[in-house]
Amino acid sequence: MSQANKVAKGQRETEEPFYAGQTWILEMVAANAPLPEILTNLVLLMEAQEEGMLCSILVLGSDGMRVRHGAAPSLPEAYVKAVNGASIGPRNGSCGTAMFLKRPVVVTDVLTDPLWADYRHLAEICGLRACWSTPIFSAQGDVLGSFAMYRQEPRGPNAEETHLTQVATHIAGIAIERQRVQETLRERDARINLAAESADLAFWVIYPEQNTAWMSDKGRVMYGFDSNLPLNRDRICARVHPDERAAVHAAFDRACASHGLFESEHRLVLPYGKTRWVIVRGRCLVDEHGHLLELIGVTIDVSAQKQAELQLQIQREEMSHLNRVALMGEMTASVAHELNQPLTAIANNASAARRFLERGNIDPKLLQQLLQDMVADSQRAGEVIRGIRALVQKDKTVVRTVLNLNSVIADTLRLVSSDIALRESVVVTEMDHSLPQVEAVPVQIQQVLLNLIMNALDAVEARPPAERRIIISTRSLNGESAEVSVRDFGIGLPKDRPDKVFDHFFSTKQTGMGMGLTIVRSIIETHGGKISAENAPDGGARFFFHLPATRGDSKSQAA
Amino acid sequence: MTSGEKSDAEIVCLVDDDLSVLKSIERLLKSDGLSVRAFNKPKEFLSHVQTHTVPVVILDIWMEEMSGLELQARLSGLSPDTRVIIITGRDDPGAKLTALQKGVTAFFTKPFDDDQFLKAVRSALAMHPTE
Repeated sequence: MSQANKVAKGQRETEEPFYAGQTWILEMVAANAPLPEILTNLVLLMEAQEEGMLCSILVLGSDGMRVRHGAAPSLPEAYVKAVNGASIGPRNGSCGTAMFLKRPVVVTDVLTDPLWADYRHLAEICGLRACWSTPIFSAQGDVLGSFAMYRQEPRGPNAEETHLTQVATHIAGIAIERQRVQETLRERDARINLAAESADLAFWVIYPEQNTAWMSDKGRVMYGFDSNLPLNRDRICARVHPDERAAVHAAFDRACASHGLFESEHRLVLPYGKTRWVIVRGRCLVDEHGHLLELIGVTIDVSAQKQAELQLQIQREEMSHLNRVALMGEMTASVAHELNQPLTAIANNASAARRFLERGNIDPKLLQQLLQDMVADSQRAGEVIRGIRALVQKDKTVVRTVLNLNSVIADTLRLVSSDIALRESVVVTEMDHSLPQVEAVPVQIQQVLLNLIMNALDAVEARPPAERRIIISTRSLNGESAEVSVRDFGIGLPKDRPDKVFDHFFSTKQTGMGMGLTIVRSIIETHGGKISAENAPDGGARFFFHLPATRGDSKSQAA
Repeated sequence: MTSGEKSDAEIVCLVDDDLSVLKSIERLLKSDGLSVRAFNKPKEFLSHVQTHTVPVVILDIWMEEMSGLELQARLSGLSPDTRVIIITGRDDPGAKLTALQKGVTAFFTKPFDDDQFLKAVRSALAMHPTE
């Protein structure tokens, strides 16, 4: 206000102070001074130009209907209060009408003019007679408010006054519009920040040319940067986990080269060793000549989701492991037999050797063969134990290899051959020798097959031995995927929803956890395949799954 | 197969489709001075028994081509005097009961005690009526 007084008092004599005043006010606008302060100074500047003139500025609300007090330092407070919040309209005083009609409204005598009917008593109290109001327009021609001049004698404006009004509305327009734009920007900023903070988002901009970067406060916290540390691309990339850094660099370079999108999921390693999982998305901004200006993007902290995912993964692996242990328990006869065979041979060979030696007539050649066989059988027993261990072990390495499902089926059947025989069941195989190869974790596919075979054996248990039949067949689906079907002749699946068997804890059996088929499905889906169950038309259940063929050489050798 | 001078009535036959087990039992029997004819396939033994006297046969129960019990059933028609000793790699009470009901001489679960096994083979051989 003190600055305003400096320019406002008694400077009518020359044009010079008036220009200086205008410049001063425009500087206030440029410096983002508060709007009421700017408008008040503008009004004071105008009032200072002519003896006995009072001025006011009203600002039209964002609804375009109601006016707000802008500035009226010399008008009585009662008047200001009465006008604040009034609506615009065709008969709403000088100002309300001017804003409504979007043109100047000159009321030479407020005591007689019908536009002032509602405000006449107020004008009388304040000693106002003439009021000339002019709308303030934005650059786009929208009404932002109004500037009014008041006289205590009834008359219209002279040329000088009209000129002053032009200056005043022009400056007020700039001030109000600028304030509106800033308000909009502030609102947008606040909204973006709110959204960003609630979504755990960090914003960043990388300027590759200048080798600088900017990051939002949230981003600096996320990346562990001090708030005043100058940033650049290398500083940001240095936070990426060493295992993933090369890939992130490559993706970044690709995006810059193609002016395309950048997307990456990786870990950040913060100072003091804390690790965060983040998803980063960015895009290139180019100028009108196609020259890369900046890479702008967001980083989302997904550590919590990742943690939950990992937890789930561990639980899944636990369940899967338990399932394999349970399967092993069901396969005891086969396991015992597989081990018994070589152990029997070893024991017999050893006994034979002892007896030959006791008799003293052993052929050294025979003894050598016998010892060789014992070594071979020990190795065979070792293989069996390794096989069991592989199945029962927790998944340490889940490496996919190219597999022929026909061979995996044959191996698996060998593994359970004793149990099949012991349960007086027969497994028939119908193999498609043109089956494409698949890429899978061998132990997991074996686990799938074991579950399906053991289930099938359970399903046919109630039938007479001659009918305890299981058919395992394979076929190529257009060479694009390999299908395996395990079909039994048991009682079949729930009629309404055969797929229910894949649900957790669904079990028709006394033993078992009801987890087997859930795990089977999860394994198949992890391999990009699909498994279904149905009741065969002529009785029994049929489970079939397919896995995508490996790309490249898809045809397998004859199994 | 082994000793040309021995008569069929002194030769013990052995059927097991696991080659290493077959060889080891064959050696065990030979180490005790017995003559042995070993068969890797049940059907080969079946054709052998049609033309030869078989005093004792040792059968594995679980064979892919034909189970030991099935082989025993066929054998009782072809050669009722043949004494049958069953060996199995599985602890299977049901099969043991069936086998004993069908009149097998002895039943052993692998791995078995060599002395008891050889004793059982020798006593089965002694039971066979000499021609």
